[in-house]
Amino acid sequence: MRRGPALKRSRLLGSYDRRHKLIGLAFSLPAILFLILFVVYPVCYNVWLSFTNTSLIKKTSEFIWLDNYVRLFDNQLFWKYFWNTCKWTFWSVLGQLALGLGIALLIARPMKGGTALRSFLLIPYVVPAITLALVSRWMLNNEYGIISHWLQQAGWLQEGQSLLAMQGSAMWVVVILNIWRSYPFPMLIYWAALKGIDKGIYEAASVDGATKWQCFCYITLPELKNTTIVLVVLRTIWTATYYDLIYMVTGGGPTGSTTTLPILIYQASFGKYQVGYGAAISMVLGVLMFVCIIFYVTKSGVAED
Amino acid sequence: MTKKLTSLLLAVVLVALTLTACGPESADPPVSEKPEDLSSAQTPDASADSASYEGQNLVIWTNLTADAQYEVLNKQFNELGAELGVTVTVEKVSFNEMYGKLATAVSSGDVPDIMHTNFGGTAYLYETESIMPMDDVINDIGAGDFSDAYLRVLTGKDGKIYGLPDWAMHTSVWYRKDLFAEKNLKVPTTWAEFLTTAEALNSDGMKGFNVPLDSVQVAAQTFYEMMCSAGVYFIDPETGEYCFDEEKEKAVEVIDYLVELYRKASPAGSLAWSWGDYRNALSVTGTVAMSLDMGAVIGNAQSNAPEMVEKLGCFDFPGVDGNKAASFGSGYCFVAVPQTDDARSALVHDFLTALYTPERAAERALSRPMFAFPSYKPAFERYRASDKVALFQDEVNYILDAYENGAWYWYGMEAGLNGLSAYIESTGIFGEALQGACDGTYTAEQAYDLINEDLMSYES
Repeated sequence: MRRGPALKRSRLLGSYDRRHKLIGLAFSLPAILFLILFVVYPVCYNVWLSFTNTSLIKKTSEFIWLDNYVRLFDNQLFWKYFWNTCKWTFWSVLGQLALGLGIALLIARPMKGGTALRSFLLIPYVVPAITLALVSRWMLNNEYGIISHWLQQAGWLQEGQSLLAMQGSAMWVVVILNIWRSYPFPMLIYWAALKGIDKGIYEAASVDGATKWQCFCYITLPELKNTTIVLVVLRTIWTATYYDLIYMVTGGGPTGSTTTLPILIYQASFGKYQVGYGAAISMVLGVLMFVCIIFYVTKSGVAED
Repeated sequence: MTKKLTSLLLAVVLVALTLTACGPESADPPVSEKPEDLSSAQTPDASADSASYEGQNLVIWTNLTADAQYEVLNKQFNELGAELGVTVTVEKVSFNEMYGKLATAVSSGDVPDIMHTNFGGTAYLYETESIMPMDDVINDIGAGDFSDAYLRVLTGKDGKIYGLPDWAMHTSVWYRKDLFAEKNLKVPTTWAEFLTTAEALNSDGMKGFNVPLDSVQVAAQTFYEMMCSAGVYFIDPETGEYCFDEEKEKAVEVIDYLVELYRKASPAGSLAWSWGDYRNALSVTGTVAMSLDMGAVIGNAQSNAPEMVEKLGCFDFPGVDGNKAASFGSGYCFVAVPQTDDARSALVHDFLTALYTPERAAERALSRPMFAFPSYKPAFERYRASDKVALFQDEVNYILDAYENGAWYWYGMEAGLNGLSAYIESTGIFGEALQGACDGTYTAEQAYDLINEDLMSYES
């Protein structure tokens, strides 16, 4: 009598291996469900939307093949905003990583008050974007902004002019603000990675007569390669899709010189309510980032590692 | 093991059920399935009395997030709630997040009962068929107590009025009276005179007129006041059709004039100026002598530079040759979603009607920094008598006269509610084109083409 249910259960679950896999699957199921619901489904839905004329106002949604993409690439301003996105992302990421690495090298050395200094250096990361935007607009105001005042006094800026009102400078202003706000993340990651480098390598190099610069170039940088790749990938994604700061500081101006693709997506989706068109722009942005990341990862040799 | 597996499966089912619960409630029909004939859906049951409202809750959203305004609204809503025996939940939805939140609410069918919003928000809700006509409420209050121009802005394509006017604002040129007197200047009555006056006011550390062109809304508003004054519109006020594409010649002239004003009389940095910047320039730092505004410069001066208050006055931005076609006006109104049962419709109807006493209407308008004025004419006297506007009787009389007797429009809504207005609010194309025209990137014709093509893509 007692063997019956055991046999039945054994048949149901099969061999030990099979049971083992089932249990593993059961444990993974919540994560898989989560990914399907919050990653796979939205991405697939976005792809689908980009081929439709779905609108937040209209009740119908028709499949229109590549019309959204054709319209996007026909838009004479698209390429300007595309290039703006590239500039914004490239210089922001480069600046964040360079500054983050520089400061990480400084704070990695033992010093009095190091913990307090590290905490202090993290402050920009917790400053809300709206605060940064308002303060920077104030400092750059052409009439009473302290920075504009200095630049006007020095004769580098025409009277009544502001860096935010000039096409040639507005992008650099928002890039610098973004670097200032975001460098603590790379700094922390680099600092942790620097702590992990074996001191013995430096001692050996020192015995061989290597200078500090040579140690940095031939030991530190190669040791930080994987960290850098992760940072480049993460910061590229975060920066290219970052929208708040630019929108609040310049609104995308002057003359569209700081308009990036996320701003265009917002305007298409919540201005024209054409979410199909907005989805097409976000697909282009997604593909752009994907290509950049694949290119970088391939070139840097991570794939081989 | 069976128990563990069963527990896991139960956990998975629980997670799935929890996530399902996050979606829109299936019990509520989606917005599109609400009654086709909105006017019949919301007709209140005349027999309903306040006793029948007991225990009900009204959800109200307002875009007014400033404390002074919100407190007055909240106080009035709660007073009325107590009178009608209902509870009221008031939520602040800032203007910046309004469209995103509205879109989500409309998609999920979870819009509030009443919303206090601007014209753009009203147009959006109208286009999504989320709000009901207000004709019966307006008739009960008294249609003659509202300005025709205001009611026209809120009229749908079916001729019904979808918003209940609350307060309004009128764009004027706010200027430094002391500087005009000092330089013996008269109020200009044509575009040419205006330019000459602005240039005459230029001096060391002072510019005659500012042309603020921040990409977010400000550029569109500056341009639209000039367009209106020249009789150029986006939508034909008579036919309701998009007409900006047929106005190229005139629109290019408007852009040329705007660029000329910028180059000859405006601070270079005003290209990036938003509201706070240009208001400060006129009423606090005193570095600009004239500015287009809806009167908030006075509130700004009262708070930050009281000595400037009595130096400020206003006049109408002139027409090209002296005859001004129309002005740019703005305002807030109440809108309501269709209700599924008569008792609730009656509640919304009674609630909104009761908001329109001269005291309440004036109090709401006065809670706004100057110069919002009540859209409800019986509240004018109480508004005029307020200490807040006592110093500005001439300005108030001029603005109220323009409101009652002049033509004024909100961009894109020249012939009534139109989603184009909400698009104009959020697009960056006006900044792109007009800033570009001012800094020499585009010719006036190219700037016009950029704006027209962008608006056409919405219209199509």
